[in-house]
Amino acid sequence: MSKDKIFSVALVGCGAVSKLYYGPALQELERHKLLQVKALFDPDFEKLSVIQKNFPNAVSIKELDELSPEKIDIAIIASPPQFHSQQTIQLLKSGLSVLCEKPMSTTVTEAHAMLQAASNANGLLAIGLFRRFLPATQTIQKILSLNLLGDIQSFSFSEGGNFKWPVQSPAYFKKENARGGVLLDVGVHLLDLMVWWFGNPTEVVYEDDAMGGIEVNCRLQCKFGQRFTGEVRLSRDCVLQNRYLVTGDKGWLTWNVNDAPNQIQLGFKDSAFSLDAQVHDVDPRKPFIPGEQSYNFEQSFTLQICNLVAAIEGKESLMVPGEEAIKSLKIIESCYQHRTLMPMPWLNELELKTAYQLNAQL
Amino acid sequence: MLKIAILGANGFIGSRMVEMLHLEGLAEVRPIVRTMYSLARLSRFNLDGRVANAFDTSSLKTAFEGCEVVVHAVAGDRKTIVESLEPIYHAAQAAGVRRLVYLSSASVHGQSPIAGTDENSPLNDHQPLPYNNSKVHAEIQLKELRKKGTVEVVLLRPGIVFGPRSYWISSFASNLVSGQAYMVNGGKGICNSIYIDNLIYAIMLAGTIQDIDGEAFIVGDNETITWRDFYHPVAEALGFDLDKVPDATYQQLSKTKKEQVKEILDRPSSRKILSLFPNKLVNATKASVSALLAGPPQHSSSWTFTRLQEKSPQPVASLEMTLLQQCQYKLPGTKARKMLGYQPAVSFAEASRRTVGWLAFAGYPVLKDYQLPYQQPIGSTYAK
Repeated sequence: MSKDKIFSVALVGCGAVSKLYYGPALQELERHKLLQVKALFDPDFEKLSVIQKNFPNAVSIKELDELSPEKIDIAIIASPPQFHSQQTIQLLKSGLSVLCEKPMSTTVTEAHAMLQAASNANGLLAIGLFRRFLPATQTIQKILSLNLLGDIQSFSFSEGGNFKWPVQSPAYFKKENARGGVLLDVGVHLLDLMVWWFGNPTEVVYEDDAMGGIEVNCRLQCKFGQRFTGEVRLSRDCVLQNRYLVTGDKGWLTWNVNDAPNQIQLGFKDSAFSLDAQVHDVDPRKPFIPGEQSYNFEQSFTLQICNLVAAIEGKESLMVPGEEAIKSLKIIESCYQHRTLMPMPWLNELELKTAYQLNAQL
Repeated sequence: MLKIAILGANGFIGSRMVEMLHLEGLAEVRPIVRTMYSLARLSRFNLDGRVANAFDTSSLKTAFEGCEVVVHAVAGDRKTIVESLEPIYHAAQAAGVRRLVYLSSASVHGQSPIAGTDENSPLNDHQPLPYNNSKVHAEIQLKELRKKGTVEVVLLRPGIVFGPRSYWISSFASNLVSGQAYMVNGGKGICNSIYIDNLIYAIMLAGTIQDIDGEAFIVGDNETITWRDFYHPVAEALGFDLDKVPDATYQQLSKTKKEQVKEILDRPSSRKILSLFPNKLVNATKASVSALLAGPPQHSSSWTFTRLQEKSPQPVASLEMTLLQQCQYKLPGTKARKMLGYQPAVSFAEASRRTVGWLAFAGYPVLKDYQLPYQQPIGSTYAK
């Protein structure tokens, strides 16, 4: 971490993600004197006031054009997704570096415009796909790149449960605002990891249950050439296994994303035993000390801000630049364009007829 | 088109009702939920979902405005079941609602009703399960509110409601998978089941049929089935043999010594005395008492060979399941047939097929080649 400069940060959007994640992360980094939050923006003054209590030195601004590189180094865009593109482009053009919360934008066209703006600007564009910072996902990436499981044969990723995110407006669920449901929300994380680990799929078959609104359940079958096919299942409705399973011809690995984000299970072909592994930090200069775990979910969130700071200083490269984030967004957009209705065997014939019509109209 | 407000629209019954009425075009549906995030499940439709607290007359009134019928499908604790009725009723009246359909429960007659029980049987509010008593109190309260108010009230008393997202189905399926499943007395007791779609047909009738104000109706499926029959499709679909599911018995658990001491320490008189002593001393005393009561540590040895362990101890049934599975009486649907014209549209076999279909959808490990015997073609069967 830099000891030389204290970076000035503006937090744009003071909703739930700022209250629960960006706020605490920024407070922690202020404590380490890495940065200072100098400006807050949200059209809803009530929400802004809640965040401002933790950043008494930050001014509240009414318009984004009040932010200039003379006063602010980094803008964190945590507003609703439909504003990501326009706000990011405006602030990049102003000369700031931007960390834009996922999803990067709601359309690929908007995302391309963001990349274009970033390439013409002095600042950097990072996307808040913080799961790439988790020790477990990095370890899985290493296991796969070292081919420790042999040739990949299949994978199955699922995430789902009763939706409990502290939504602050019904607009969150409206198609015209949200533009997507569980796929665009949690799915963007999951597809980003998939692309990071396996590369781009060559073919995707997609189905969901949107019937005039946004998808609450969806399923993807992702084909990777002739090599292997994987399944992704997401839900805001059903309690799923919340497990990532990758199977190769030498063994398998699983990662339980919610229960134990710092643990990976590994099994080997024809073995009656498996490893339940805790991810630890490794310092080759020191002996391994059992019990010292690597950083957690919250710390990973903080690390993505540190990564942007280090990248601005030229000390690291960006972990998730816009060019990486657009890959999962392209898959999502293609899914929405080619959506079909999920089989819902409890619907009667009349319901199914309407359901197909509503799904096809989206 | 009939405008219906559904309170508790994100729950098991409410969410299926929204789905079915909307997709079949049977009514203009207004889903009402308690919290903003509860709109999630309903967001697959483009509907006018509202958020209103069940205790807040003002927000409820706004949510009910323009609706002729309100369906009360709110689940919860005793407070929610009983104390929310007054604000809901007053809000409905203020909004000009014509009728409130209240989802009571067949459990007002107990889990194992005696032969001959029907809607005229007296209700008992001293049953062993608090839920039953709450539902009895709710029915009494609604009738009192109706006496003073203008909104008609119709009560439905469904038994074991099953279908997609049903607790009865998902919990048994999960228990099978985790090895925790059990039956009582071989599952020979009668299961007073009702498939959710049949219940929704009954709700629609209860909301629209004339001259039934103040009436209560027991509603169920046509078939008389046992609990074994009820569980069979789930077990078969998941590849389990019901013959291997153990029988459980109910054991009244006596209070442990620790619970007895805690009870004594929690009494107001004890708290008064304890408050005279410093906190540290009180905590130290409590810790010593706990340690003394904890008993010797459980025996285990490095020689304990778990692979040859005999099968796990016999499971203990909950009081509710014990009472339910001892039932020997099929509740009658005579009154609902006669006054509502209620006729269950979906057979038990078809209902099971659809329910197992949902299990697969929800990620349960349904066997890939599993197929129930037949599929009954069905369209809308309500109020034709």
